[in-house]
Amino acid sequence: MNPKPPLARRAFLARIGLLGAAVGAGGLLPRSALGPAPAAEGDPLSGLVGLLRPVLAELSRDTLNGLTVFVVPGTDRYSTAQGTPSDTPGGLAAEGTDFLMNALDNFVPFPDQVAKPIGAALATGLADTGIELPGLDLLPVQLGTLDKALRALLENDATLPLSLPIASTLNLLATQVNPLAVNGPFLSPFARLSYAEKARVFQLLEGQDSDLVALLDVHFPEPLRHSVSGLLKFVGGALIEFATFGAYTEYAVFDERTKQLTGRPVGWQLTGYQPNGPVEGWDDFIGYYQGRTEVHD
Amino acid sequence: MRDVIIIGAGGGGPVVAKELAARGLDVLVLEAGPRHADPREQWTSFENDANNPLTGYFRLGPEDRSRPAWFREWPQNSFVWQLSGVGGTTQHFYGNYPRAYPGVFNDYDKPDRAEYDVNHRFPFSYGEMVPYFEWVEATAPVLTAAMGAKEQTFFRGCETLGLPVQTTKTTLGPSYRPQENAVLQPGGNAGRTTDRNLLTYPQATGCTHCGYCFQGCMRPIGAPRNQFAKRSTDNSYVPMALTADVWAPGGRPVELIADAYVTRVHAESRGGALTATGVTWRENASGAEHREQARVVVLAGGCTENPRLWFNSGLPNPNDWVGRGYTDHFFDWVVGAMDDYTGNPKGVGSAARLDFPPYGGLENVGLPPALNAFATTLSDSGIRGQYTNGRGPTGPWDGPAGRVIGPEFKELISGGLDRLLSVLVITDDDVEADNRVTLSALPADENGPIPKVSFRHRNRTARTNRNREFMARKAAELLRGAGAKKVYRIDWAPLILHVQSSMRMGESERNSVLDANAEARAVKRLFVADNSALANALGGPNPTLTTQALATRTAEKIFQRYFGGDPWVRTESPVVSTDPRISTRLGELGL
Repeated sequence: MNPKPPLARRAFLARIGLLGAAVGAGGLLPRSALGPAPAAEGDPLSGLVGLLRPVLAELSRDTLNGLTVFVVPGTDRYSTAQGTPSDTPGGLAAEGTDFLMNALDNFVPFPDQVAKPIGAALATGLADTGIELPGLDLLPVQLGTLDKALRALLENDATLPLSLPIASTLNLLATQVNPLAVNGPFLSPFARLSYAEKARVFQLLEGQDSDLVALLDVHFPEPLRHSVSGLLKFVGGALIEFATFGAYTEYAVFDERTKQLTGRPVGWQLTGYQPNGPVEGWDDFIGYYQGRTEVHD
Repeated sequence: MRDVIIIGAGGGGPVVAKELAARGLDVLVLEAGPRHADPREQWTSFENDANNPLTGYFRLGPEDRSRPAWFREWPQNSFVWQLSGVGGTTQHFYGNYPRAYPGVFNDYDKPDRAEYDVNHRFPFSYGEMVPYFEWVEATAPVLTAAMGAKEQTFFRGCETLGLPVQTTKTTLGPSYRPQENAVLQPGGNAGRTTDRNLLTYPQATGCTHCGYCFQGCMRPIGAPRNQFAKRSTDNSYVPMALTADVWAPGGRPVELIADAYVTRVHAESRGGALTATGVTWRENASGAEHREQARVVVLAGGCTENPRLWFNSGLPNPNDWVGRGYTDHFFDWVVGAMDDYTGNPKGVGSAARLDFPPYGGLENVGLPPALNAFATTLSDSGIRGQYTNGRGPTGPWDGPAGRVIGPEFKELISGGLDRLLSVLVITDDDVEADNRVTLSALPADENGPIPKVSFRHRNRTARTNRNREFMARKAAELLRGAGAKKVYRIDWAPLILHVQSSMRMGESERNSVLDANAEARAVKRLFVADNSALANALGGPNPTLTTQALATRTAEKIFQRYFGGDPWVRTESPVVSTDPRISTRLGELGL
C-alpha cells in the first residue's frame, strides 16, 4: 500500500480547515504539540487527540458561523467579510450557529454508524485533487503527526459530532471554489468566502452528480452506498432550510423553565411579528365572503 | 381478546375508533407518540418549541423530548413532515375539509373524464361517498370559514381571474371560495379583540384568529377540549371515542394508550386465508413489550409507517404495491410582496382556496416567521440570482424560481410579514409506483428496520408536471390581481405532506393493496383507515375529509362483515363533536 504523499495530505488538511485552525496564523495548537512524539507511555497520539477535539469543535463552529450569516446576514464581522453588511441583526445574533450545532450534534437523526464513516471517508479518502494551495511551513513529520491524530480521532471517537463532517465538507468545497480561502481571517475556509462563493459551494453540494458524493460513495459497501449519497443530497438541501428556520425562531430567547421569552427574537424584529408579544387572539375577523356562513349541495 | 385494535391515533384511526365505540365494540387505540392531554401545560405557541422537527412537541418521536426523534431515510433533497402523537398531523393542520373532486371516482363521466388519474380511481362512485362526507361534515363540524384580512386580499386576486364563486360543497368546476373548514366560527369576543381577558370561554367561542394553527389549537382559554376552535382529531374524534358511553346508546369508551409503538402485526392461516390476529407493541419509556389479540386490526399509522410495519411483520406483498404510489400533492409556493397590509400571520392558517379541476388548487397560507423562512428557502432550483440547479423555471413571476435567502430574503420581509401574501400550489399528482416506501439499509432502531421514502421528484409524470406549472401560473396571476408588486416562485423541493395512497385501495388487484372495503387483499381482518388507503391524490383537495369519510365507511364495513351489525350512516343522524354531553364527561374524566 502506497502512503499518500505528504504534500497531498497537507493540502487536504488545509482544505478542510484543520491545518490553519490547528497551527496556522492564530491557530489553536502550539506548534510543539506536533513535534516528534514525546517519549510518552502508551499511545503517543492520545494527548494530541485530546488537544485536537476542541480545535475541531471551534473549526466547526466557525464554519457554521459562515453558514448562519449566509442565510441571514447581520451586523457581525462574518457578514461584512462575505460582502453583505447589514444594519439589522442577523443569524448570529439569533444564535443560529448554536441552533445548528445543537441540532446536528444531538438531534439530527443521523446514525453514528453513518456519520462516523462519512467523517473517516472525508479524512482518509479525499486526497488533494490537484488544486494548488498556498502552503504552510509544516515539516512532513509534524504534518504526519497531525494527520494521524485526526485519523485516530475519527476512527475511535464513539460518537462523532455530525457538525464536523458537515463543516469539513463545506470547507473542502470552499477551497475548490476559491483555493485562496485556505488562508485568511477566521478559522474556516468556508467563512472566508464571499456570498457568491458560498452560493457556489451549495451549487456543488446540491448537484445531482456531485464529485464529492461520488467519491464518498466509493467508501461504502452496498446497499449502504446509495443511502449515503442520498443522505448527503438531503443534507445539502436541509442545511439551508434548517439554518434559516433556526435563525427565525425564538431559540435564543426561550426560557425552557418558564416557557417564556426573555427578549424579542431577532426573527420577530426582522419581520414585525407579534409587536406586543404572544397573543391569545387578534381582532382580524372581518365577516364572511359575500355574507355566506354555510353552503349546501 | 379485543374486538378491534387500531394502530395510530392520527387523522384516520380515531374515526374508526369513535364509530365502533359508538356501536359498543371493545376498541383499543395504540399511538406511538405522546398524548397532549393538557395543552395549556404542554404547549407554548413558539415555533422552535412546537415545530422543530427534531425537538419540537410536534415531531416524529417518543413522548420524552430529550430523546432523539425517530430517524427516517429520505435519499433526496426533500423533507418529510411527519408527526407522532394523538391527533397526528391534524395537530398542526389548518382544518381544511374540502371534498375530493368527483372526477377521481369511478363513475365520473363528464367531458374532462380522461384528464384525471384514470388508472388509479376510487373503486366506487362519488354518489356512494357523499353520505360519508356529510356524516363527517356534521361531526367535525365543517363550516364555511370566517374571513380575515389575508382572505380578503386573496379573494381580491380571485375576482380578477374570471372564475365563479363556488357555493356548493361539491366542486363542479374551476371556482374559488372560503374554505369549508373544521374550525369553529368566531363567537362572542373571538376575532374581535386582542385583550386576552376578553378571550376566555364562554365570552369567546370558536376561532380567536390567533394565527397559531401550526402550533396546535388550545383556544379559547378555558374551553373544554371538545370546544377548541380547530377540529384536529385530538379535539374532535378522540374526545368522542373516550366518551362514547355518554353520547351513543350502548356506546363503550375506547381505551387509548399513547407512547406505545406497534412493532408487529400478527397473522395466521385460518380456513386457508391468512388472517390478522393481533399486535405486539412496545412502551417507548420502558421498552416493555405487550401482545394483544383482536378480531380485527386496523392500520392507521400513516403513509410511511404502515408499509414499514407491514414489512417488519413479514406480511405478504404479492403484487409489490405495499408502500408504492406514495403521493404528496407536489406542492409549490408562490409569494407576493404587497404594499398593502395583508394580515398574513393572523387568523386561521388558510381560510380561502381556489379549485381548478383537473389540475389542482391554490390556498392562501399565513405563516409565522420561521415557517415562512423555511417555506421560501426549500427549493429544487438553487438560490435565486446565484444558480438554478438545472431548473429555475421562469413565468409570470419575477426572475427564475428558487430559494429566496440571505440579503434578498431580509429585504423581502423588511416591510413586515403582514405585507406578504403566500399561495400554496396543490397539484393533482398521479399515483406513481416508483414514489414509495421501502425498508432502509441504514441501521435499525429499537422498533426494527426503519422506512426509506424515495421520490423521483424530477421525473414525475407529464400530467403531474403540467398540472403544477398550470397552477403556479394561476397563483402568480392571482397575486398580481391582488396587487402584488413582486412575485416569487420557490419551486419547492418535495415537502412531503398531504401524503396519500401508499397502501391504496383500487379497482384492480394488480396495483392496489386494499379492496373496495379497505380490507387488505392479502390478509383478512386487516384494514387500513388513514390517508394511505386513499386510491389517489383526490385531484388536489386536502385529504383529511376524504380520509375520514372513507374511514367512516370502513368502520361500517368492519361492523357488517365481522360483527354482524347493520350500517348506520344512511339511517341515523350524527352527533356533533362539540356536544355538551361530551364536554361534561371530559370534565369528569379530568380531560
